[in-house]
Amino acid sequence: MAKRQKRFEVLEKRAVNKDGFIKEWVDVGLVAMDSPNDPVPSIKIEGGKVAELDGKARKDFDMIDSFIADHCIDVAVAEEAMAMDSNEIARMLVDINVPRKDVVRLSVGMTPAKYVDVLKRLNVVEMMMAMQKLRPRKTPANQAHVTNVKDSPALLAADAAEASYRGFAEIETTVGVGRYAPMNAMCLLIGGQVGRPGTLSQCAVEEALELQMGMRGLTAYAETVSVYGTEQVFVDGDDTPWSKAFLASAYASRGIKMRFTSGTGSEVQMGYAEGKSMLYLEIRCIMIAKGAGVQGLQNGSISCVGVPGSVPSGVRAILGENVATVLNDLEVASGNDQTFTHSPIRNTARMLMQMLPGTDFIFSGYSASPNYDNMFAGSTHDVDDYDDYLVLQRDLQVDGGLNPVDEEGVIAVRNKAVKALQVVFEELRLPPITEEEVEAATYAHGTKDMGDRNMPEDLRAIDAMMAKGTTGLDIVKALSKHGFSDIAECVLGMLKQKVSGDYLQTSAIIDENFEVISAVNQPNDYQGPGTGYRLEGERWELLKNIPQAISPEDI
Amino acid sequence: MNISQEMLKEIILEVVEQMDGETSSSLSATETVAPLNLNEIGPATKGTNKGEVVIGIPPAFGNTMTKTIINIPHNEVLREVKAGIEEEGLTPRLVRVYKTADVAFISHEAAKLSGSGIGIGILSRGTSVIHQEDLPPLQNLELFSQAPLVELETFRNMGRNAAKYAKGETPNPVTVKNDPMARPKYQGLAALLHNKEVELVQQDHPTMELQV
Amino acid sequence: MSQKQIDPALIASVVESVMATMGGGSSASAAPASGTAGRSVADYPLGTKRPDMVKSASGLRLADITLEKVVSGEIKFEDVKIRPETLEQQAGIAKSAGRASIASNLKRAAEMTRIPDERVLEMYNALRPYRSTREELLVMASELETKYQATVCAEFVREACEVYGNRDRLKKA
Repeated sequence: MAKRQKRFEVLEKRAVNKDGFIKEWVDVGLVAMDSPNDPVPSIKIEGGKVAELDGKARKDFDMIDSFIADHCIDVAVAEEAMAMDSNEIARMLVDINVPRKDVVRLSVGMTPAKYVDVLKRLNVVEMMMAMQKLRPRKTPANQAHVTNVKDSPALLAADAAEASYRGFAEIETTVGVGRYAPMNAMCLLIGGQVGRPGTLSQCAVEEALELQMGMRGLTAYAETVSVYGTEQVFVDGDDTPWSKAFLASAYASRGIKMRFTSGTGSEVQMGYAEGKSMLYLEIRCIMIAKGAGVQGLQNGSISCVGVPGSVPSGVRAILGENVATVLNDLEVASGNDQTFTHSPIRNTARMLMQMLPGTDFIFSGYSASPNYDNMFAGSTHDVDDYDDYLVLQRDLQVDGGLNPVDEEGVIAVRNKAVKALQVVFEELRLPPITEEEVEAATYAHGTKDMGDRNMPEDLRAIDAMMAKGTTGLDIVKALSKHGFSDIAECVLGMLKQKVSGDYLQTSAIIDENFEVISAVNQPNDYQGPGTGYRLEGERWELLKNIPQAISPEDI
Repeated sequence: MNISQEMLKEIILEVVEQMDGETSSSLSATETVAPLNLNEIGPATKGTNKGEVVIGIPPAFGNTMTKTIINIPHNEVLREVKAGIEEEGLTPRLVRVYKTADVAFISHEAAKLSGSGIGIGILSRGTSVIHQEDLPPLQNLELFSQAPLVELETFRNMGRNAAKYAKGETPNPVTVKNDPMARPKYQGLAALLHNKEVELVQQDHPTMELQV
Repeated sequence: MSQKQIDPALIASVVESVMATMGGGSSASAAPASGTAGRSVADYPLGTKRPDMVKSASGLRLADITLEKVVSGEIKFEDVKIRPETLEQQAGIAKSAGRASIASNLKRAAEMTRIPDERVLEMYNALRPYRSTREELLVMASELETKYQATVCAEFVREACEVYGNRDRLKKA
């Protein structure tokens, strides 16, 4: 073009045009939710067993087909569900006159292809409606990421405390450097209890190490137990549905809450999507989670969000996979945890899909550290977006799980968390947290305000701590010995959750009195206006009173 | 898979054109690099030299693909990694892993073949791992998971640190870059490239020793 | 896959019979009459609604696990572990809430409480792809059955073994 049109010049500089967009490539599965290679739904039951699944005979089953056929599909309802018109099931999902349990009953009779056939009939508003109705726990909640690029323990503890103080029911960390994992886990355990007693914490690392930390009582739950929708990718992930199911039972046997993780785009990202749509493969993951008997699943593309995010209808497919999860009666931690666009408009639009209907965990990682410190490679929203998010809740009268807070309160919990961590480090003979670190972490925005630690020294001390067999009880003792009996009680309270096992049930969170709230004692009973979770009363009073609102009496 | 070379090129170009070109590499997206013609000596065996670090690359590296996602030519990648290892007084060895295009398994394979037990795996797009033979495959010593942030200098540091691990030292890990915006910009493209990488995988083909 | 499909009724009966044998040796669970069947949504959460039912692996009640006792060293980490009976009760609750697959998972978990941490991790690793030969997995299944009375887990490992064999995911002998 010799001469440019000025509006086009402006448009091409817009943030959205820094995003990568890809045209569908059906042969390798670069397609969101409707591939011509997806199988046609079918089932055959012979002798009480699934003999054919989505056009494939048992003798041709791959590992995933076998696992789904033998552990997920309920042969008692399969023929009934599969005989139903997909349109009819799709309408049941959004019909307020059909109770949740009637839809969920059919879900164990549907094959992966049937799920896709049902879900592709819903537009996003209908999907949100389905989410509002099918989410297992009545009250929505939220999860935060707490990480930093230096693995600074003081900053992790302070950020964990602020996150739980702001209302996140679960907090999750990971590492910059792998061997820091146990220390990071400890920081979240302690910081989380300072901010709000009962907050669940975890550290996402390699499977075996993650389990070990749970067994030692350094974490309260686990989430990064990944499953995949094609056999090759599953094996490349160094697992099988059976090893993952065994791992799930191992967690439960130690009284530790856990959920699996999956998401659209991972199979094509790893090069083995077999030409199937991202949603079809994700449904297989959801059904593996169901069959393994885990209580929940983190999905919504997660770390592969750039893949569905780059193809047509990809963001709709992400909501679709969240809906498929709750349709399977599983807790959903619904993504929104990874940067997916340069465009603030696109970013918020994508997030509203989960925030408006409410999910068990709207974000499976709102970044409670600044995104430059987010070691999950950034979340859709971070600490700098807190006030925008609070105003969105207030504008729309929607509970997104975030509480308005004042600065003094935040400073106080941050400071207390680092001081509590300091005494535990001292008692466990970890390299000391200095007074400068306490001060810096209390007032920090992120690692740009933190000094460097001697990493090799930290790592040697962590290895020694793990070799010595340090457990959560050692943390309890250290806290108590140095004047933090209140926090010691809370950490002990979290350990005791592993004795009663109540939080192993679907969608469980723990309130500040250590009462478990789950889909068992607080099931979602949404059936239209006047039912289900309503943001009203005390909670609405809290959320609408953002500190920056001007009061008429003050003028 | 019947996508033609031309089609793929077109798609990649389209994506690359949308990028704002602020990468620090020496090449532009459209410049091509000739294949490296790395010579295969024979099937790779476990080394006995405690002073070596093995670098593992997938089948497409320097072959059908010749530069990373930020356009660093593969010959420069290898030059820098080797230089980093040699700077520490150790010897690099190079192997091509055919059975997988997964960076964890490539680097673990390299580590298992290494006389020192330390290996590096580098995907064509730049994603890399430093691994140790006795760790589980999906653990690592250092992981460079975001290919768009792995720069020329990173490769040199990676080689140096791998050599230090091989000598039994505990080096400061290479500073992990973190750019939350790498994903929206590159992940779709990375998926495309990886599917290209996977096309050349041969599960039953042994890992081959390459001439350094 | 294997000749015995995982039939929920079968699992229930096997588990109950195993639990009954187990109960014989332990005073804490001398009368596991409740097992799964006895607990339902009405008992949930056990920690607050039925604290009388909940005991740790070493037989302590929740109220006995206090900060004072932890600090004095009277309570060890082993004292704050879940016991199989509790997992059975949670399985019953899950089942009565319509979640059969969670119940199955919790029943496998109840069996696994008897396996030491180290061994659980090793068994998990052994089930990863290409880690074990057919023989190794079958030996592991027998170990689960004989050493830990983990019959449901054993059957699960045998099933995995068969699938891995069919799909060429076993360690090359």
